[in-house]
Amino acid sequence: MSTALDRQIRPIYDALDTGSNKSAIVACNKLLKKHPKNELIKALKALALVRSQKVEESLILCDEVLDLKPTNDAVLTAMMHVLRGLGRHKDMVTMFEEAYKQQPSNEELGAQTFFANVRAAQWKSAQQIATRMHKQFQEDRYLYWSVMSAVLQANDVSTPIAMRMLLYKLAHRLLTSSPTPSYLNADRFHLHIFILRELELFDEARKLLDSDVGKTICATNLSCDELRRDIWQRCGMIKEEGERAQMRIVEDQNRNWLEFLSVLNATFCYLDPSQNDSSSTLSEGAKVHCAEHITRTQELFTRLALEDGSKDRSSMLGLLELEGRARKYGLSTSPARLVTLMEHYFEEIGDKACCFEDLKPYLDLEGNECLKWTSFLEATPASFNSPNELRRLINSHKLLRHGLSQSELTVEAESARALLYTKYFMDGLQLGVALPSSELQPADDFALLAGNAWVSLWNSTSDESYLHKAVALLEFALTRSPQSFQARMILIRIYRLLGAPSMALEHYRIMQIKQIQHDTLSHLILSRASTFSLAATGDLTLATECLESTQIYLSNSQETGDFIVRAFTSEKYSQIPEFIEFEDRLDNSLQRDIVKMEHLRMRLAHEPITSDIIDMELIELKFIFDRSHHDNRDFDIITNYQPQGSSSINDQTHLFGKAEGRGWLGAFLKLYIRAFQHGSDLDDTVEEKLLIGDRPKQSADLEKKPLRERLLQRQDEEIAELTADEVPLVDYATALANWLEPYHDYTRPPPSVVLAEAARQTELKTGHPLKGVDLQSLNGIANGNGRKDEDPPVVTEPPELVLKYFEQLKSRLLELRNNPSPVRALHLATLAQEALLLFTVETLRFRSSSVVKINKLGGLVTSFKSIRADAIVVLQEMSTELIKMADVSSTMDSRNMFTDSCNSLTTLGIDQDFLVGVAKKVTEARKKVLEGVGKGLTRVTSL
Amino acid sequence: MFKFNNINLDIWTETYGIGFYLSYLSRWPDLCCVQEAPNGRMMGYVIGKAEGSNTEWHGHVTAITVAPEYRRLSLARKMMTLLEMVSDETYKGFFVDLYVRCANTVAINMYEGLGYSVYRRVREYYGNLGIGKGGRDEEDAFDMRKPLSRDPHQRSIRMNGRDMLVRAQDVS
Ligand SMILES: CC(C)(COP(=O)(O)OP(=O)(O)OC[C@H]1O[C@@H](n2cnc3c(N)ncnc32)[C@H](O)[C@@H]1OP(=O)(O)O)[C@@H](O)C(=O)NCCC(=O)NCCS
Repeated sequence: MSTALDRQIRPIYDALDTGSNKSAIVACNKLLKKHPKNELIKALKALALVRSQKVEESLILCDEVLDLKPTNDAVLTAMMHVLRGLGRHKDMVTMFEEAYKQQPSNEELGAQTFFANVRAAQWKSAQQIATRMHKQFQEDRYLYWSVMSAVLQANDVSTPIAMRMLLYKLAHRLLTSSPTPSYLNADRFHLHIFILRELELFDEARKLLDSDVGKTICATNLSCDELRRDIWQRCGMIKEEGERAQMRIVEDQNRNWLEFLSVLNATFCYLDPSQNDSSSTLSEGAKVHCAEHITRTQELFTRLALEDGSKDRSSMLGLLELEGRARKYGLSTSPARLVTLMEHYFEEIGDKACCFEDLKPYLDLEGNECLKWTSFLEATPASFNSPNELRRLINSHKLLRHGLSQSELTVEAESARALLYTKYFMDGLQLGVALPSSELQPADDFALLAGNAWVSLWNSTSDESYLHKAVALLEFALTRSPQSFQARMILIRIYRLLGAPSMALEHYRIMQIKQIQHDTLSHLILSRASTFSLAATGDLTLATECLESTQIYLSNSQETGDFIVRAFTSEKYSQIPEFIEFEDRLDNSLQRDIVKMEHLRMRLAHEPITSDIIDMELIELKFIFDRSHHDNRDFDIITNYQPQGSSSINDQTHLFGKAEGRGWLGAFLKLYIRAFQHGSDLDDTVEEKLLIGDRPKQSADLEKKPLRERLLQRQDEEIAELTADEVPLVDYATALANWLEPYHDYTRPPPSVVLAEAARQTELKTGHPLKGVDLQSLNGIANGNGRKDEDPPVVTEPPELVLKYFEQLKSRLLELRNNPSPVRALHLATLAQEALLLFTVETLRFRSSSVVKINKLGGLVTSFKSIRADAIVVLQEMSTELIKMADVSSTMDSRNMFTDSCNSLTTLGIDQDFLVGVAKKVTEARKKVLEGVGKGLTRVTSL
Repeated sequence: MFKFNNINLDIWTETYGIGFYLSYLSRWPDLCCVQEAPNGRMMGYVIGKAEGSNTEWHGHVTAITVAPEYRRLSLARKMMTLLEMVSDETYKGFFVDLYVRCANTVAINMYEGLGYSVYRRVREYYGNLGIGKGGRDEEDAFDMRKPLSRDPHQRSIRMNGRDMLVRAQDVS
């Protein structure tokens, strides 16, 4: 390339780097006039176009460049970004393969081709290329790339089970051909051992591990050591592993819990059926051996616990676990020991926050043991002289609460407990007055305990005043301990239950959820968020929250692949499978698609429903429908302090008492896919032609049934996750879809016509024909209009379910009129709105009078008109009702009701003015959402 | 990353983008470590790297943090020991260093207890925390160091580090 041209191209790069895509395009156009054939300028223009969302135009240039089979480094790099932007990883592979074929001695091109395959997860060809590169360039690492690729292919979902062993054998064969031993590098060693384990070549693995180098590697590399432990276990060396672990504990002072587990497993290995010759009955001999070993381990741990004192808890935990397991096998020698150990543990560790979680697995006590333990805990003095004393008191109450039986959970007893926790909380605050606001208050957990108690009272009585108390105390706690995210999360849940979503959002924002936390924690605010969405009135707060939370999935698909490639370059093979799993878990995240669904429901209330929206959403929903989802949501984060026989605070505070998951998503996906299919002209053949980018990978197991069949199935899991008001919506939508399907199928234009139209549109927009669609041959069909010979289906009466749906909603709403919390009413109202919007989607096609006339469907349209009119009346009545509720929700009376609920808190020292402030905020938040949803209903009826 | 919420919902602990964690894991997996409780809950983690040239070659603690309910159990101490051991034996570094907000007294005291000393104070190293009026202490960082076995004469540290002011642009 001439340097003059070089100089002219530089500004294009600068523009692209700074995101000025427009000026990049202008600069490209200028240069293209002079150099109309230049590949690089075309590639750069294509890149600028993708980045400015001009996909169609970019596609044309992109294909032009691809056809030229570029080999120039700069062109390839630019094209790599273009193809990535278009999601065409497979084409990227082809491009590099072509280039590499032309310049087989170019090592860099070889590596790029390999990486392109890695990004597209095409392990088989990645493996072949790496092998070829190894032959040609004689670098060991290419051999390891090829080995790793074979392993990844074996693990891939699309690989049939039968193939897996063959691939591991291939990997093994490749490895043994290596001129240098794997132990030169810990990660190569890891890969080697991993393959031997999968092939169950344990002797070979052990030989490597037992060598001096092997031992050295395992001593400093935790992942290699983990593999070693697993291999020892699998080849029955549980006892040896126990001895080794014991040595590390005693001699190296290692206190890794995994070492303790190894000792414990060795202690009980005699009872493991796989270790025994006679499989079913345990021989007495085994029991005797085990009992002896228990005594030895007990002596060891007791001695260590004495040495460590409260400095390290591992040995004491080891003793507890030992006793716990001994009991399970009936080998405990002293019935009193468990409680004695627990008491001892509490004495040593009771002033650390982890004590409660540590003891939890052993709390299932009965009879006298339970009494002894309870009275021991009850004897903990309620003194507040130091943070340590306070933590001990907190732990005793957590443990006591955990052990409460159902009969101890009367309203009186729970109320008394909640007040006691509150009192202790207020008393404990004095210990933290000097702390900066960035530190947590040591007394915080008493506020959480009180919160738990009140939530449980609300749960059993449905009396909202308990939630008011919880809100007041937790809000107060946050003024003292602003970093307490535990208090915030309970508040978020309660505010949603109370129908005060803006308060929930306020707390959620303060938590500064970011990055990956959007995947694990956005459920706090986005679960069934369309209930609170004011999108119909143009307020997109929640819709925006949905979009923001999905950024993480984009950066996952853009970035994670790079790091997989980087791990290959730096030869950190041990990380690669984990990166791939991570990418997959995010890509197929359940929360991602639940949020997608919520966003769609909000979107339809906001934007006019057009066939463009329907087509686009349909394609996306069909992709989602084929995913197998991973549930990454973190529900354990809300620490549970409810008694062991009760449901957890997480379960108790789900909106409408129903947690949504795969079933809920499945039900709504089916509902919308069917409605959109009816509203759309795209069938599968058309979609195939128009789709840009790769399709998702399909797993090899079980051939799937056809989409149509799957859409019509209804599973128990789905119904179980729907609320009592969502079920009728699903029934209504199904009835509506079944009724109208034949008319849609009959009147939908044939694929050739649809394609011809799409091609015409593209040509109008870009001046180029649509690739892969032969207009000439289509034209004939399009003009000859593919009308069917059969008669149109006879017009039938609308099904009962559809006719009655809206009426029933109205009577449900009237039933709810006197509910203190407005959430049910909001739920009904937003579902009614959704039902009307679905009706619009299902009837859009018949708005065209020519379609109706040609197909003699006038009767159908008459039914539509009357259903729609009835629905609108109902929605308007609902709107009036909500606005009435809004008016009474934020009055002096309603505020007084709130503060009256909290009377008992004022006596404990929470200021009345503070309570009034909280009451005001809550009632105003309620008013706002009722009013907004109410107004939204009217707006939707006028669409 | 799916399970670290109990740790990361903390004011002194930053939650970074995917690329941050993956880039450490793709290069220094042995300087990254997670501690789990017997019940599988995450208790804490440390993320580190090896960097620098010649006698500046060292291990760096990028992040260390322990969930509130597992604090004061010597977990941080153990993770620091592990990182020092790997920096010393695998990477053969001269010292280990770390940055800490000047306002984070708990952490600074802990590091001093573990044998670290302030090497210099870096101006405006962190973005604003937005809590109260801590002033400069909120944005400035101490660069703290501890020599390893390859630096027997302790050339990598100095006495009056708190007074050595440098700008954020001047450090890596
Ligand atoms: C700083 C932090 C990592 C300490 O973790 P930890 O596991 O509790 O610390 P250790 O138990 O190993 O403590 C080691 C020593 O540090 C000191 N120390 C730790 N926390 C302390 C505290 N809150 N108050 C006083 N001394 C403390 C003690 O001397 C302790 O030894 P001891 O318990 O034998 O007296 C933890 O508080 C944390 O995660 N904070 C938030 C994140 C953070 O600030 N990270 C540092 C950013 S650079």
